Amino acid sequence: MVEPAAGLDAHSPVPAIAPRITLSAWLRRVFASETWVLALSILYFLVLLPFAPDLGNLENLELIVHNMLPLCAVAIGQTLVLLTGGIDLSVTSIIALCSVGGAWSMTTWGLPGGLDFVVGSFVMLAIGAFVGWLNGMAITRLSMPPFMVTLATMMFGSGFAVYLTRSNGIPGLPHSLAVFSQEGIGPIPYALLVVAPVGILCHGFLGKTKAGRWLFAVGANGRAAQISGVPVKRVTLLAYGLCGVLAALSAVLYTGRLETGSPVLGQRVFLDVIGATVIGGTSLFGGRGSVLGTVYGVLFITLIDNSLNILGLSNFTILMIKGTVILFAALGDGLRRRRLGAGR
Amino acid sequence: MISRRLIMGAGISLPLAACRPRTGGRLRVGVAFETLQTEYWVASFDIIRSELEKNNIETLEAISDGDANRQLEQIKSFVARRVDGVIVAPKDAHTVIPMIKAVNRRDIPIVIYNRPPAENPYKRVTVGTDNFGITRNTVQYLCQLARQTMPARAGKKHKALILMGDLGDINAIGRRDGFDAAVKENADIVEVVTRVPTEWNQEKALAGITNGLQAHPDISLVFTSSDFLLPSVVSALKNAGKFHPAGHPEHVLLGAFDGDSMAFRMLRDKTLDADGVQDAYAQSRLVVQSILAMRAGEKVNPLVLDPGLVVHQENLKETTSRMWGAQLVLQSERANRG
Repeated sequence: MVEPAAGLDAHSPVPAIAPRITLSAWLRRVFASETWVLALSILYFLVLLPFAPDLGNLENLELIVHNMLPLCAVAIGQTLVLLTGGIDLSVTSIIALCSVGGAWSMTTWGLPGGLDFVVGSFVMLAIGAFVGWLNGMAITRLSMPPFMVTLATMMFGSGFAVYLTRSNGIPGLPHSLAVFSQEGIGPIPYALLVVAPVGILCHGFLGKTKAGRWLFAVGANGRAAQISGVPVKRVTLLAYGLCGVLAALSAVLYTGRLETGSPVLGQRVFLDVIGATVIGGTSLFGGRGSVLGTVYGVLFITLIDNSLNILGLSNFTILMIKGTVILFAALGDGLRRRRLGAGR
Repeated sequence: MISRRLIMGAGISLPLAACRPRTGGRLRVGVAFETLQTEYWVASFDIIRSELEKNNIETLEAISDGDANRQLEQIKSFVARRVDGVIVAPKDAHTVIPMIKAVNRRDIPIVIYNRPPAENPYKRVTVGTDNFGITRNTVQYLCQLARQTMPARAGKKHKALILMGDLGDINAIGRRDGFDAAVKENADIVEVVTRVPTEWNQEKALAGITNGLQAHPDISLVFTSSDFLLPSVVSALKNAGKFHPAGHPEHVLLGAFDGDSMAFRMLRDKTLDADGVQDAYAQSRLVVQSILAMRAGEKVNPLVLDPGLVVHQENLKETTSRMWGAQLVLQSERANRG
């Protein structure tokens, strides 16, 4: 029999001990959440501010928000696909195809002012949804690896966009498209009024709906998910379809900014898309990630771009730095995965 | 909690940062180039930068690596940083228009370098090259040489091949049209048998000229719309056993455009007959002068075209100082000797 400790009655209540969080435990918790990317972004901003005062210029801050929006749209779509354990390499060609298709419809269908922008935007979204659906069908029905399917779609889409236009841009787009993409109410861009609700919807979809949780399940362990009754194929198809639609939304914004339908639009955006999602904590192995993390990742990538430009670094140096940051983020992802794996 | 504090800290620091004054009294000009992929763009960028430095103007640099959207972001960043002028070498004629518009909003002078924008109502100065005129003169010179060889060819026309650039690029179109105009004037001695659309891509150029030489082994005149495609031309001609200096009975008449270092070396070796040269020095001076004149509120011609020059075997010595590629070669040779 165990004797009660001196001074304590066997029936007396156990004194409450305040839970102590050690620094390392706190750091582990922060590192495991998406908040650390936001903290990192703010820290990065504050550290660089004395060396690049223009960074804190209000106009520059507005510019950062403007630059984030199209990237946010396409990166959120990529997050949905990455959650399922897949990848969509074709987002750049979806942007180009949507840009060309939308610009063509806006300039040739002769619709009245205002309607041309709306119809053209829906044409872009439809093209994005169609290409995303094609990707999803090839992956789920033909059991092809996502990497190969989307690589092929990327190559075909890029080539097709150039073929359609003979590599010429399509100018003369509606003024309303330019206004939507470039202007706003005070410091709030009009595009934010679309991208923010879309982001909130996707965030809610992942966190609050059964279908959203299925995405995680498919990415974490597709076989187990299937045995548990998750409609793996439908969920995967949904992820690629949504990714296509969101890439199309970013095409609307990019096209409006340049006021030109371009067959090479978005060609170089892929590094930023993957970088933002991985930095934001979305696992390249599937099953883990969040929309909020991706938004923070987009903020960090955009901030790097903007600040290094202000510091006068060449594009090649910026690419090298971004590549290194993304490499470290991917490394962190691998480490976290191993830790989680060991804990299971 | 710590993150929230950080956010609040940032919220306080932002307005403070925004109030900081700009350091120094020097003018600041943003220079945004679409690419530094070829020697011409690198040389132009360096010459513009040194020309600005000569005028005690600080240069802010941005290269967008072929991405028009990134270039727009860079230009807007220049505007946000309140530059005193912007110089842009854009990707194409259309995507530059929102950039001009963004700069115009702040009434900042803007000069478009080398690629004229499509028609638009905004205020800008374009400093470009007379691509049509320089190419026509270069090909005219090649045709003169071709005419001299006609007696030896027993009246047989020269078969010509042209490597065209990206036909979405107004410069490439000007060069193609200049070539066509010169060939049309000399239709009695030159016939174009192959047109290679390279899209400014060396691999496509190599494949195109190799195929062209296989289909027409008697090609005796080649023109490339840019010097940076010369390695592809030389490689294909060597493989076909047709790469010989001027004076050799099987020499293929060769013309090019730009004025880079390889063209200069080939002119010296007599393997290149003529090169249409863009006077990058004169253009850079014009660019900086235009920015300063616009700032001073002076009236500036909205389109300034550099007439360039044709450098060939006969005038090589006297034109070397105006050929930017020659200067690069000579500087590097001097450095190696020193």
